[in-house]
Amino acid sequence: MSASELPPPPAVAGLSLSGTSTYVISADENRALCSTLEATPAADGSAHPVYFFIATQVGMGMTVAELCRVCDFDVEDGPMIASSTVTFSRPLMTQQGYRVTGEIVSLTRKRSRTFGVMDSLTYVLRLALSDGTPVLETSNVWMLPRRHLA
Amino acid sequence: MTAVDVPVMANGVPVTVGASLPPYTLAAVRPENMKLWAGFLRDPNPIHLDAQAVRAKGLGNKVINQGPANLAYLITMLQRAFPRAVLETLEVRYGGMVYGGDAVEATGTVRELSLGVCASRVICDVSLRADGRDGVIWGVAVLSLGHPTAAETRSAGSILG
Repeated sequence: MSASELPPPPAVAGLSLSGTSTYVISADENRALCSTLEATPAADGSAHPVYFFIATQVGMGMTVAELCRVCDFDVEDGPMIASSTVTFSRPLMTQQGYRVTGEIVSLTRKRSRTFGVMDSLTYVLRLALSDGTPVLETSNVWMLPRRHLA
Repeated sequence: MTAVDVPVMANGVPVTVGASLPPYTLAAVRPENMKLWAGFLRDPNPIHLDAQAVRAKGLGNKVINQGPANLAYLITMLQRAFPRAVLETLEVRYGGMVYGGDAVEATGTVRELSLGVCASRVICDVSLRADGRDGVIWGVAVLSLGHPTAAETRSAGSILG
């Protein structure tokens, strides 16, 4: 079966990933996270920047397993994160409420030497203060191996 | 024309193109920390918690560290090199796994430096290796550096003389 003969992936581009509740970076959790890095929490109340990933993933409108499910993919089959990009407008702060908005950008199917067939899932998430002030935008690309289509 | 002073890293080394950032190392990634990260990420995936689950999936014999934790090592390396800097952008690719017990080393090199009177910007190539395996994560970070203090300026001199 050539790439053009593969069945198309689910049409999920544009699907909203916006969260419904506020995400707060707890100062205690930030402290615990820094301890795993043998790092000292910032004295000014700023959170470790890796919270760009955590806050958006936890605060988006579905879990990673649910995100996989809408792509007709079982999370037990091993999704693999391929890349992340983030652009900050302002630092992340502990004890600050954030809202997450975002959407799936694309789900494309292609042949892979390693997995036979795989889907590439791209989605974008934005973090903002409760008044809408932008804080950051991030995009992630995940590879979803479709071994049964190989 | 106003002279612009070259910024320095936390270890006192001037920020110049090609300069190496002080590496960040952990002697061993602790499996108990993966349990904490599972909570941070609200991610109950057993490959981070149970070596038997890793074996069952044919992925090895040790628990696998969460990707964002690996990313955090890189970011912490940048924070330590540039304590007063603000991370503006980060682009990374994930190419490998880190297992429980692995020693990790995050490194960086200055790719570009643009000096300004009020602030400077530095672009760094960054990478993470685990137990000597390159390519766990690699990418590019852009940081805005704060205006150097007088003490830093004295220690580093001025590249514009």
